[in-house]
Amino acid sequence: MLNPETRPSLIVRLRDSKDQSAWWVFAQTYEPFLQHLVSRLGVPAHHVPDVTQQIMIAIAASVDKWSNDGRDASFRRWVHTIARHSVIKFMSGVRRHPAPIGGSDAVAVLESQAQRDDPATEQQYDHELVVWAADKVRHEFAASSWQAFTRTMIDGEPVGDVAESIGVSTGSIYMSRARIIARIRQIIEGVMQ
Amino acid sequence: MNTMKYAQDHPGDNVLLESIGGVVDDVLESAIVAHLDRCHECCERLERLAADADRRSTICQSLVREATATRSSDVGGWSTLEDFAVGFLQPSDHPGAIGRLGEYELLSVIGQGGMGIVFKGFQVELNRPVAIKVMSPHLATVAVARQRFKREALATAAIVHPNVMPILAVNESATQLPFLVMPFVACHSLQQRLDATGALPIVECLRIGVQVTAALAAAHKQGLVHRDVKPANILLERGIDRAMLTDFGLARAVDDATLTRTGVIAGTPGYMSPEQARGESVDARSDLFSLGSVMYAMATGQPPFRGETSYAVLRKVTDHRHQSIRSVTPSVPLWYATLVDRLLCKNAADRFGNANEVQELLEVCLTHVQQPGAKLPAELTHPKIGRRIGVIAILVVMLAILIGVMLYRPTKQAIPEFEVPAISDSLDDELRSLADDIESFDAEVTRPFDDLSIPAPTPEGNLQ
Repeated sequence: MLNPETRPSLIVRLRDSKDQSAWWVFAQTYEPFLQHLVSRLGVPAHHVPDVTQQIMIAIAASVDKWSNDGRDASFRRWVHTIARHSVIKFMSGVRRHPAPIGGSDAVAVLESQAQRDDPATEQQYDHELVVWAADKVRHEFAASSWQAFTRTMIDGEPVGDVAESIGVSTGSIYMSRARIIARIRQIIEGVMQ
Repeated sequence: MNTMKYAQDHPGDNVLLESIGGVVDDVLESAIVAHLDRCHECCERLERLAADADRRSTICQSLVREATATRSSDVGGWSTLEDFAVGFLQPSDHPGAIGRLGEYELLSVIGQGGMGIVFKGFQVELNRPVAIKVMSPHLATVAVARQRFKREALATAAIVHPNVMPILAVNESATQLPFLVMPFVACHSLQQRLDATGALPIVECLRIGVQVTAALAAAHKQGLVHRDVKPANILLERGIDRAMLTDFGLARAVDDATLTRTGVIAGTPGYMSPEQARGESVDARSDLFSLGSVMYAMATGQPPFRGETSYAVLRKVTDHRHQSIRSVTPSVPLWYATLVDRLLCKNAADRFGNANEVQELLEVCLTHVQQPGAKLPAELTHPKIGRRIGVIAILVVMLAILIGVMLYRPTKQAIPEFEVPAISDSLDDELRSLADDIESFDAEVTRPFDDLSIPAPTPEGNLQ
């Protein structure tokens, strides 16, 4: 599915080569997240690469409108804002008519009163980002560390109990989960900033 | 010593940050953990350093919600293709049909293409089988994708050719999913064929190549560049040897400037031309490069440029020469490799002038393979004469310059310094005249060398 041979790609011609490489860095981190998000929205697996691709193209097209505001990391901030905006817009579209019914005028009516800034959609975007980031870093940690993290922070078990059942000290549980949280945060910031 | 560290003192923020980053040694690590075991305050500080309270709670809340959702049920959406189809089809009375779409009865799913799903259908009114390509609902919400779908219909309608899959009807209303209607042809794609059988025999490569090139020639004649020539877009009809070029969704008129203005390119990296990969404007010769990649893939079973990521592939397309076709599959004839090499020239001007020219060459090659008596085109059997003369010329010039430098300099500098002109008068003259000869030779050779270095024979200029 992610075979680069069959997956269309895109390139942006930005005047500044620094911005161009910033685009590539962005594309390389953002595309996997987008793929995750798109498939979670219920897009059949076979269509995920193309839908992702089309959204990336929409983002890339807006990137061209970028103008430097002179502040630090201007291009980077721009790209992330544009990406978030484009994706949320796409998500609202899917939410409104996940499977358009042929011949129905209702869809056209819905489409005409496009609502932006749907808080539920934004929430879902942020939620998917966390889920994706957690999934991405999971393999970086030992199974016992991951267990310490989920049991104490997600399932809400007391640190002492978990430490005893895994057979490690409480200090090492704090250390493991601090590391995992820090990694998840880093990954999210890589896409959000 | 170190194990005793932090027995009394608290580790500083920087030490804790380093340990979160995993860059402290084992001894220090166990000292810190031992301290954390006893000091709850430091545990809290550690957590704050890992992520501030807000961020930490959003992360945890999301993961909690996710864990509950996974336990209770899966997220909505289509788990199967049938669910997807049912979502937009109207019920049908027709026996054996899975649903109705406008005037078409849909019978079964043929396949899933890039932009949507292809159904086998039946047009009741005209009593004929059709193939219907319905755009994926998710793409239907993306404006660029809709445009692409529309462009495919418009571009294809402009080309009527036996090797181009025609489009019978288009539905592009706002209330329905866009779909294209094509004649139903029992076929599979060249990609499927390559996946199943690997490299094809040379005669097959040529047969398919001739037809694809003919289709390209027809498109180019209309001023259209396909821009996505690849095995997945070449359909092979079952039973007979017909190949058809399809998916003109990326096709554009040569003079269409939208592409360069937005600076966005869609295409398939493995078969893209270097100018396309760089986001420059492309003309018909870009399709010739992609054709070269397809010819390469048919003969070897693999595309000429491969890599882990699309970016890596693009870099190879723009910066690296392809691996020689005969080093991958030694049985490929030299003339075939020569032809493909020429199509895969990085510089568009070094490729053949146009698709017609390539088609003629391929036809002659096909005749040669089928009737071994038939001659091959001269430019494929002695392709490098031009280039070789160029190389020889360069060598001669370099040698001449080298000799010139070695001989000329001492005569010019050393002799006046010592002021003893009598000693080597004759030798000096001889060397001077030799150097002059070399210089004039140099001047003479440099001009023809410019012409010779371009291996392409003449037709290019007037055919562009």
